Amino acid sequence: MQNINVLVIEDRPEESKPLVATLTANGYTVVAIATNFKEALELYHKHPIDIAIIDIFLNGNPEGIAFAETINLDPNSSKPFVFLTSSTDRALFERAKLTQPFSYLMKPFNELEILYALETAVEKFYKQADVFLGEEEDTIISEDYLFIKKGKALKKVLTKSIIYIEVEEKYCNIITEDEKFVILISLTKILKFLDKNRFSRTHRNFIVNTEKITEIVPSDNLIVLSGQHKAILSDTYKDILKRIRTLK
Amino acid sequence: METFNTKTTSLLFILFVNALVFSQKNNEELFFNSIVKRKADKHNEVFFFIKASSFFIDKEWDSTLIYTSKQLDKTSIQTDIGDFLHYFRGFTFKKKKLFKEAQKEFELISLDFDYFDLVKMHMGQLSLEMKKYEDAIYFLKPLLILDNEKYKYINRNVILSNLAISNLHLGHFNKAEEYLLKNKELHEKIKDTINIINSYGNLANLYYEQYKDNLAIPYFEKAYQLSKKINNFQTKLATARNMAVVEENRNNYKKALAYRKEAEQWKDSLNNQNKIYEVAQLEKQFAVKQKQQEVDLLQVENKAKEVERNGLLYSALTLLILLGVTFYFYKEKNKTHKIIVAQKETLDALNATKDKLFSIVSHDLRSSVNALKTSNAKLLSNLEANNLSALDTLLQRNSGIVNGAYNLLDNLLHWALLQTKQSYFYIEPLRLFFITEQVSHNYKPLLEDQGLTFENSVLKTAKVLADQESLKIILRNLLDNAIKFSKPNGQIKIYTTVSRDFCNLIVEDTGLGMSADTVATLLRDTPNLAKKENEDIIGTGLGVQLCKSYIQKNNGVFSIESTLGKGTKMIVALPKTT
Repeated sequence: MQNINVLVIEDRPEESKPLVATLTANGYTVVAIATNFKEALELYHKHPIDIAIIDIFLNGNPEGIAFAETINLDPNSSKPFVFLTSSTDRALFERAKLTQPFSYLMKPFNELEILYALETAVEKFYKQADVFLGEEEDTIISEDYLFIKKGKALKKVLTKSIIYIEVEEKYCNIITEDEKFVILISLTKILKFLDKNRFSRTHRNFIVNTEKITEIVPSDNLIVLSGQHKAILSDTYKDILKRIRTLK
Repeated sequence: METFNTKTTSLLFILFVNALVFSQKNNEELFFNSIVKRKADKHNEVFFFIKASSFFIDKEWDSTLIYTSKQLDKTSIQTDIGDFLHYFRGFTFKKKKLFKEAQKEFELISLDFDYFDLVKMHMGQLSLEMKKYEDAIYFLKPLLILDNEKYKYINRNVILSNLAISNLHLGHFNKAEEYLLKNKELHEKIKDTINIINSYGNLANLYYEQYKDNLAIPYFEKAYQLSKKINNFQTKLATARNMAVVEENRNNYKKALAYRKEAEQWKDSLNNQNKIYEVAQLEKQFAVKQKQQEVDLLQVENKAKEVERNGLLYSALTLLILLGVTFYFYKEKNKTHKIIVAQKETLDALNATKDKLFSIVSHDLRSSVNALKTSNAKLLSNLEANNLSALDTLLQRNSGIVNGAYNLLDNLLHWALLQTKQSYFYIEPLRLFFITEQVSHNYKPLLEDQGLTFENSVLKTAKVLADQESLKIILRNLLDNAIKFSKPNGQIKIYTTVSRDFCNLIVEDTGLGMSADTVATLLRDTPNLAKKENEDIIGTGLGVQLCKSYIQKNNGVFSIESTLGKGTKMIVALPKTT
C-alpha cells in the first residue's frame, strides 16, 4: 500500500505549513507545494499526483479556479481536487462550481474537515459516492489504483500489482506481490469497476490478474499465479482459456 | 292676300297655345290626381310608387322621373302599377316638352289600363304638338263619344279644340267649324268667359281663313266685346289685334290704327304685368335669398354651437380623465407612502437592533480584550518571576477568551453575510455524523478543560438536505451555548431522532436551563435580540438568532426544550434524505 500523493497549491507558507503537517501526520505524502498558477501547472505535470488542494486566491487573484479550469480541460490527466477558501462570495463560488469535482473547504478548518474534504473529492471524482463515509465499504476503484481507507488515512494500491482477489462475503482479500490485506467492497462493484482486460473471474470467489497467471491446470481446476499463489478455476468460468493468450 | 295669310296663321298659333294652357288648369286633372292618390294609398307597400305618385301630384317632375325609374327597375311589379308609372313618366315628359320620350312611355302602357282614354288624349295632343294632325284626329276623335263618367277626368272641350285645330291645319274647315261650334256651345254653357272668347276667336279665324268674312267678323267683334269684361291682357291683346287685322283688311285704317293702339296698350300692360311679375319674382328671389342667408347664418350658428358643445364635451372629458389620473396617482402615492412608512418602521426597528448589537458586541469584545490585557500583564510578571506553572493556566484562559471572541466575530460576519445575501448557499445531502464530528473536533480541548463529557451518538446513516457551511455554523453555536451554560462536570450529548420527513439533530446539555419565558423570547420570530438572562456570561443572543435564520433558510424547524436548573435540549429538525 502506498501513500496518496498530494499537490498543495497555497501561496502563504503560514497556511501551507500546518496543512502539510496535518496531511503528513495522517499518512499523506505532500509531493510538492506550488505558490502560483504557473508553478502549480508545472508541478502537477511533473509529479504523479493523486489529489490537489487548491487555495482559490493566489496572490490576490482567483488563480486557483483558473488552475482547476485548466486541468479540467484534459479529462485524461484530470485528478480530484479540493478548493480552500476563506470567502463564501457567491459569484466566486458560482464560477468554481463549474469545475469538476467541485468540493470545497472553508478556512479555518481542522484536521477532520480536510481529511473529509479529500475523501469526498475522491468519491465525487470517481463517481462512487458514500464509500468512505458509509460503513459498508472502504475502497474506491479507479483504472490504475484502489483507494482504500485505512483508519483515518487514505491509501492506494496499484491495480497492476494485484495478483488475485479472493471474495469472502462482504470482504475481499487482496493479494499483491508484496502484501495481503482485506478491503470492504461488494463483488458487484469490483466486477463493475475493475479493468476487465486485466482481471478475470475464475470462480465464484476468485478474480485473478491474467497477467500474473503462470500455469493453468484444468484437470485440477487450478490456476497457478506468480509467487506460487493458487486460485480455483471452476467449470462455469473455464472459457477463460479461450481469452488468455497462450504460447503454443 | 299673302301677307294676310301669314297674319292669320300667327293669330291661330296664339289661340292654339291658349287651348293647351287652359287644358292644364281644370277639374279633370284634379279628379285624376285624386284617383292616383287613392291608388297609392291602396298600394302603400310599394314604396317608390307612393313616392312617385306624391311627387306627380305635387308636380315635382324631376323627382317623379327618378322615383318612377327606381320603381320600374324592380323586377316584379303589378301591371296596373307599371301602367301608372309609365303614365306618370309620359305625362312628365310631355310637360317637359320631350314629346318623343313621352310618346314612348305612353306606348308602354297596356291596353287594359283603366284610364286608357286619357292616354289616348295625351297621344293625340302629342301628335298635334309634332304636327301629325291626322294621327291626332285618329287618337282624339273616339274620345268625343264616351260615358259621362269618363269626362270626369277627360276634358271634352280640350278634345274638341284639339280636334278643331287639327282639322284647321289639315284644311278640313267644315269639320273644324263643327268642333269649334260644339266647343263654343260647351263653353257658353259653363260660362267660361276666357274660353268663350278663345272659341269665338278660333271660329272667327276659321271663317276668316275661308274668306267668310260676314260670318267671321261678328265673332271677332263678339270676342272683342267680351274681352273688355275680363282682365286677361293676353286675351285683350289677341282680340284687339284681330280686330285691327280685320279693319285693315276692310281698308278701314283709322279703326285699324285705333285697335292697333289698343293692342299696343294691352301689350304694354301685359309687359307691365310681366315686369311686375318679374319684379315680384325678383323680390321673391331676393326674399328667398335673404331667407337662405338667414338659414345659412343659423346653420353656421348651429355649427358653431355644435363645435362649442363638442369642445365643452371634450374638455369635460379631458378634465374627467385628468381627475381620474390624478386620483389614481394620489392613491398610488398614498399606497407607496404607506409602504414607505411601514418600511421605515421596520428599518427603524432593524436599525435599533443593529445599534444594540453593535453596543453589545463592542462591549463584549472590549471586556475580552481587557481580560487579555490584564492576563498578558500577569503572564509577563510570571515570566519574569519564572513561575512556569502559572503560565500554563494563564495561557489556557487566554485561549478560552480568544476563542469566545473569535466565535463572536465569526457570528457577526455570518450575520452580515446573511443580511446581504451575498454568501454561497447550496443545499445538498449531508451526513450529520461527520459534520458533527468535524465541528465538535474544535471543542475537544475546551470540553476537556471544563471537565465536560461529550458524546456524539448521531447515526452514521442520518442524512439531511442542507447547506454544509450554514449547518456547521448552526452546530458550532449550539455546541458553544451548551458549553457556555454547562455546569462543571456536566454532560453534553449530540444525537438524532428520526420522524417521517425530518431528522432531528438534538444538542442536549445538563446545564443551567432556561425559563419558559426565555425560551419563548428566543423562539419569537423577531429580528430583535433576546434579552440576556445571564448577564455574567458572555453572549449577545446573536448566536441563537443566526441559528434561527439559517435553520429557516435550510427549510428546517428550530425548537427548544428546557428546564431551569436541569438542562436544555436544542432541537434542529431538517428535511431528511436517503
